[in-house]
Amino acid sequence: MAEFTSKSFSDYLREKRIRGTECRDCGAVHLPPRPLCPNCSSRELDWVDLGSEGVIKSFTVIYVPLTRMQGRSPYTVGVVRLDDGPSISGLILDVGSEDEVTVGSRVKAEFISEGDRVSLCFRLI
Amino acid sequence: MGLSRRVAMIGAGMTRFHHRIHADKTSRELLVEAAVEAEGSVDRDFRIRDVEALFIGNFSSDAFEKQAHTASLAVDWLGLAPRPSTRVEDACASSGVALNMGAMAIASGAYNVVLVAGVEKMRTLSTEEVTDTLAMAADAIYEVGAGFTFPGLYAAIANAHFSRHGSSWEELAAVSIKNHGNGKLNPKAHFQQDIMETARSLGERKGMTFRDELEFLRSQLNPVIAYPLRLFDCCPISDGAAAVILASEEVARRYTDTPVHLRGFGQASDSMALHDREDLTSLRATTLAASQAYRMAGLNAEDIDVADVHDCFTIAEVLATEDLGFFPKGEGGKAAVEGRTSLKGDKPVNPDGGLKAKGHPVGATGAAMAYEIFNQLRGEAGEHQVADAEVGLVHNVGASGATVAVQIFGR
Repeated sequence: MAEFTSKSFSDYLREKRIRGTECRDCGAVHLPPRPLCPNCSSRELDWVDLGSEGVIKSFTVIYVPLTRMQGRSPYTVGVVRLDDGPSISGLILDVGSEDEVTVGSRVKAEFISEGDRVSLCFRLI
Repeated sequence: MGLSRRVAMIGAGMTRFHHRIHADKTSRELLVEAAVEAEGSVDRDFRIRDVEALFIGNFSSDAFEKQAHTASLAVDWLGLAPRPSTRVEDACASSGVALNMGAMAIASGAYNVVLVAGVEKMRTLSTEEVTDTLAMAADAIYEVGAGFTFPGLYAAIANAHFSRHGSSWEELAAVSIKNHGNGKLNPKAHFQQDIMETARSLGERKGMTFRDELEFLRSQLNPVIAYPLRLFDCCPISDGAAAVILASEEVARRYTDTPVHLRGFGQASDSMALHDREDLTSLRATTLAASQAYRMAGLNAEDIDVADVHDCFTIAEVLATEDLGFFPKGEGGKAAVEGRTSLKGDKPVNPDGGLKAKGHPVGATGAAMAYEIFNQLRGEAGEHQVADAEVGLVHNVGASGATVAVQIFGR
């Protein structure tokens, strides 16, 4: 079984899979995967596949970007709650204005490769 | 939970916070300047050499100045070696946490006199590089990796708050207008102009005039940084240092007849990443740290006469005034609009201008808040004095709320 690391998470993203961890003791589901359950501190964990759709819990449109993202602003980043439970942050692709998105908008995951890096991003549906 | 020995603040000092005037100074000189002013503020018979241990808040002189081991540098340049000196790094809550640690060190009986200081020299880097460095206080892989900046995280908090409570950007603007008005009265503040004066001076250069604050704040001269937060919703990038001197109650009497008593303190943590929190509209660590401090002090939110809260962004002050129990959830912004948090309001918040106008040299902020409350409770805050302030609260947040330290002081 793959170790519960950010490396494994990223390797699964490359296969277009969103994999988190599920605690055998308390049932909590974590995304990204954790080596220890933050809910009950159990080390008894399994990989779990999560569906790719969810809803925007909140968002912002970034006008002053990180240096890594220069030339790409304005861009939108959101906190997405997956329909399968856990939430994660990701770029909301092709949204360049706050008028195009709202809390509650539905999104679907996309797996974007840049060099040797794969990012979990989302697109409005 | 209580303290086995009571602790008091007997002195406090700070440099002015500014983006330019400290250009020729480094962290070590800023720390010495703040500590020497704190030494001079003690009423009698105090020498810096009476300090037995140091706790130094510093976020990232590593990135800003290529200088780590800040606490060692501090004790050396204050001539206080071989006394123990400890650096505390909890992002923007570094010196607020250092203050709690200093208090515990005295309460334990280990020391009688402790120096708590904080410093950040940020203007060594460009705005873009500072943005990257501040983002290091968030989850580097899963938040910054996803594209979040630090203002972006608070912007997401703001949008969640607007959506849940029907609050608005106009309420955030009221916080900014109030804090800049207070900064005008504070000679230590980074910005000492109110918003209308700023609108006039910036407008002149562009040939623009503004009827009122909101017209200026909605204009292109106040660009969006991370929607809905605009430039004047964000604290500036400042250099500066602050220092306070703590002593056990019995030793404090040697140095002053008007010590400022530490009545209670608290500290709590939350998930590092915003996306791991059920509720984005509240900082749980604030609520928990405050309830510890209230319980230790035997006080509650109604008893607080003046508060210095962590307004790194205007939305953060709204959250703080709600999570500390000053106003019901969703009504913090409305309270600012109604003037309740202004100098003459029923709950004065950030009389020194807050991080918004006073500035936010990250590691110095918690100590600078304690400096303000020291002066407020001794009636020495000058033009921004809150009338009859007897109980004051300090609220210092690390990053987007993963760490929070709170102290309650009394006269």
